[in-house]
Amino acid sequence: MLKDKYKDRIAAIFAKYPPERKRSAVMPLLDIAQEEYGYCTEEAMREVAELCGIDPTEVKSVVGFYTMYYEKKVGKYVIDVCDDLPCVLRGADKFVNYCEQKLGIKAGETTPDGKITLNVVMCLAACDRAPMCQVNTAYHYDLTPDKFDKLVIELKKG
Amino acid sequence: MADLVNLTIDGKAVAVPKGTLIVDAAKTIQNDIPVFCYHPKLKPVGMCRMCLVEIGTPKMDPATRQVVKDDKGVVVIAWQPKLNTACTTPVSEGMAVRTQTTVVSDAREDVLEFLLTSHPLDCPICDKGGECPLQNLTLEHGPGNSRFEYENKQHNAKHVPLGDLIYLDRERCIQCSRCIRFQDDIADDHVLQFHERGRHMEIITLSEPGFDSYFSGNTSDICPVGALTTADFRFKARPWELGSSPSVCNHCAVGCNTTLNTRLDTKTGINEIKRVMPRQNEQVNEIWLCDKGRFVHHYTRAGDRLQKPLIRQNGQLVETTWERALDLVSSKLLGASSVAAVIGDRIANEDAHLLTKLVNSNAKGETRLSPALPASYADLARDYGVGVGFDMKQLGKGDVIVVVNGDVEEQAPVWFLRLRQAVVDRGAKLIVSNHRGTKLHRYAAHIARYEQGMAAQWAAQTDDAALSTEELTKARNVLFVFGDEKLDAVSARGLAQILVGKLVAAGQIGKPNSGLLPLYPHGNTQGVFDIVAGTRHSGNPGVLSVDVAWLVGVGDTSDAPKARFSVVSELFMTALASVADVVLPALSFAEREGTYTSGDRRVQRFYRALPAVGQAKPDWWAVQEVARRMGFVWNFASPAQIFTDLAANVSYYSGLGYEVLAKTESQWPPVGRDDLYYGGTGYENDGGIGVRYASNPSVISAPTLPKMITSMSDLKGPARKLYQTGELIKRSDVMQTHIE
Repeated sequence: MLKDKYKDRIAAIFAKYPPERKRSAVMPLLDIAQEEYGYCTEEAMREVAELCGIDPTEVKSVVGFYTMYYEKKVGKYVIDVCDDLPCVLRGADKFVNYCEQKLGIKAGETTPDGKITLNVVMCLAACDRAPMCQVNTAYHYDLTPDKFDKLVIELKKG
Repeated sequence: MADLVNLTIDGKAVAVPKGTLIVDAAKTIQNDIPVFCYHPKLKPVGMCRMCLVEIGTPKMDPATRQVVKDDKGVVVIAWQPKLNTACTTPVSEGMAVRTQTTVVSDAREDVLEFLLTSHPLDCPICDKGGECPLQNLTLEHGPGNSRFEYENKQHNAKHVPLGDLIYLDRERCIQCSRCIRFQDDIADDHVLQFHERGRHMEIITLSEPGFDSYFSGNTSDICPVGALTTADFRFKARPWELGSSPSVCNHCAVGCNTTLNTRLDTKTGINEIKRVMPRQNEQVNEIWLCDKGRFVHHYTRAGDRLQKPLIRQNGQLVETTWERALDLVSSKLLGASSVAAVIGDRIANEDAHLLTKLVNSNAKGETRLSPALPASYADLARDYGVGVGFDMKQLGKGDVIVVVNGDVEEQAPVWFLRLRQAVVDRGAKLIVSNHRGTKLHRYAAHIARYEQGMAAQWAAQTDDAALSTEELTKARNVLFVFGDEKLDAVSARGLAQILVGKLVAAGQIGKPNSGLLPLYPHGNTQGVFDIVAGTRHSGNPGVLSVDVAWLVGVGDTSDAPKARFSVVSELFMTALASVADVVLPALSFAEREGTYTSGDRRVQRFYRALPAVGQAKPDWWAVQEVARRMGFVWNFASPAQIFTDLAANVSYYSGLGYEVLAKTESQWPPVGRDDLYYGGTGYENDGGIGVRYASNPSVISAPTLPKMITSMSDLKGPARKLYQTGELIKRSDVMQTHIE
């Protein structure tokens, strides 16, 4: 249970908000849940709902809205490649194809070793340096097949 | 009206109260700006863009801060460069609105074209087809074709059970969020939300059980497309094939106005209720109905309805003719030294009146209400009840609502919605006092607790500052909502008396919105009480012992008298019926007409929607036939004539009659009309909005406190939950998993 394992962190999060606004803590608590379980399991959403005193449906709605909360199991590294129009003008679509080929999976899937998940996402606000991707929280710019190969080798090590 | 704002809509002048939204202002002059997401009962969100209009305001000279006029002296309008949503923009002085220009009609076309990109257009098999805002507005404003490619339509799940009562069709959903906002803003059960974004956006629930709310059926009504349908009605009938009769729900004290939609069932060949819809009455239920009222109608066509009279022969109940049964009952009544009638609180006023009239002709005739407990305080609830002009919608800032010993959501669900709005939206002060937690506790400014069964003792002794005479005197109005849960007759009356005492002391008597509001068990508790109260009746529950007892619609009450000969009028073979000497098959409320009196004393008519079952007859008919055999010259041809007699005999009802009760008033907002609407289903009130009779606080002098029990033994009133097992609810298949 999150509330036992992360008692102090949860208390610190709630301390940031007025006591009658516990629902405000839903996102940082989901961060903890995702850290613990790897993704937002239904059970985790119910736990967070109980902590915040809101309905689990409201928590799931938040999880569904934000792309970086995951509702199914993802790899240790999640590669988000932006394929919005400006990125595609700089070759992002071809780059996505290369990624799929290199990793042997389709966008939205995870490698069999559970290391890498490849996603195609909306704007990451870095069109000027496309093709680009986000690996967990880090940005990688001006990507080429070479650069991507090296990145994958690094990620597979970790 | 103070603070009127003047504007013009398509050149037509209109004056509306400050704060009114353009879309509502337009309705007042019959200008029907189309909407999907906007609903007058919900907060505006401007999500669907259907209500786009041109808006302009008087041009101001920046230098002089004066309104600019042209050479003819006409105010120059500065039109906003883009269209704006009429549902989120409040009116302002001098505003001009254009709703019929090409720009506006093009915008409407475009919005509909977008809304229909992935809509399946399966109207021919859709339950909403025929009464669907999307269908109607597409016909009126739509483009007629689409530039989107057919292959690009999204295909989504079409049968998603949100709970066991409501199904979602994801393809049909246009993401207007009316259902979500109803659950958030009105029901306060946050069990529906959006999930994902953009084209993947969908309605979800994660509650356990799914869509866990007593009000879920309303989301299907306000859904402007066929996305939300009820498990009960889906694929059962087309709206235009349905017969429609105004009726009144009898499951609780609210007395919600309903419309019974009926049709011949193709399988059984029987005319049956296909659905129960709320009928708009802004004074009673607005446009809402709880799921019990909506789904517990199947008993009217249950296979085990009593169809023929039964009499006991050689220890067995055997079928007989009405003639023989009525002869037997009348002969027993003629020879009886003592007679008692026990009348259930779902029985119509007319039936109760006639039976009371008959039984009181016996020198030792007794009539009593069943369940008996409310009779211990119903006179106080009547005489110190809310005023004739009572309107829950007026309760707000400055008013104090005190809920004592009642769980309003469980016992009068629609009152819960309305009281909650008075507190949350309009700022009334809520004080809740109970022996257990209730949903209203969420909004209480002040909470008091006592031990189970000790409500009256608590009320008598409380030194809570919030309930002090000083505080209650300061309040604009004081409304005491109270129940009899876990109380015996003495404490239930004691509680009511103490509350009356507080009203009197605070000078809150005689105001429309001050007074008592009782949480009676059923829909005609007050009415039956009013009728039996003027006669010999026992307000003190205890087992009567009589020669002949006639029990009408009492279910399996524990208050049945001991009788040498008992007659039971019922819908079903209840335990009491199975030990009776004569069993008479009665008609349900749907198969006859009559009146009920709600907990706030509103007398309301309900109408016949279905033909009789077997040989079953209305109770008043059986009573009259018995009376005639006993020598009475009674010639009541209809409940209307009986009501006239009732009004002549029961002073509170004087001046009332079927014609007065059938009067309607134009209801605002106009949600269900053909000419002007916000998209809703079958709400129009054409059966009468009822009349509240006057309370009479002068008849009782300052109350004296009774001696009260001090122990917790001898508890009487049951804890009442909405979905309790009972003769009626158990016959609705869709409700089975909900019965507690």
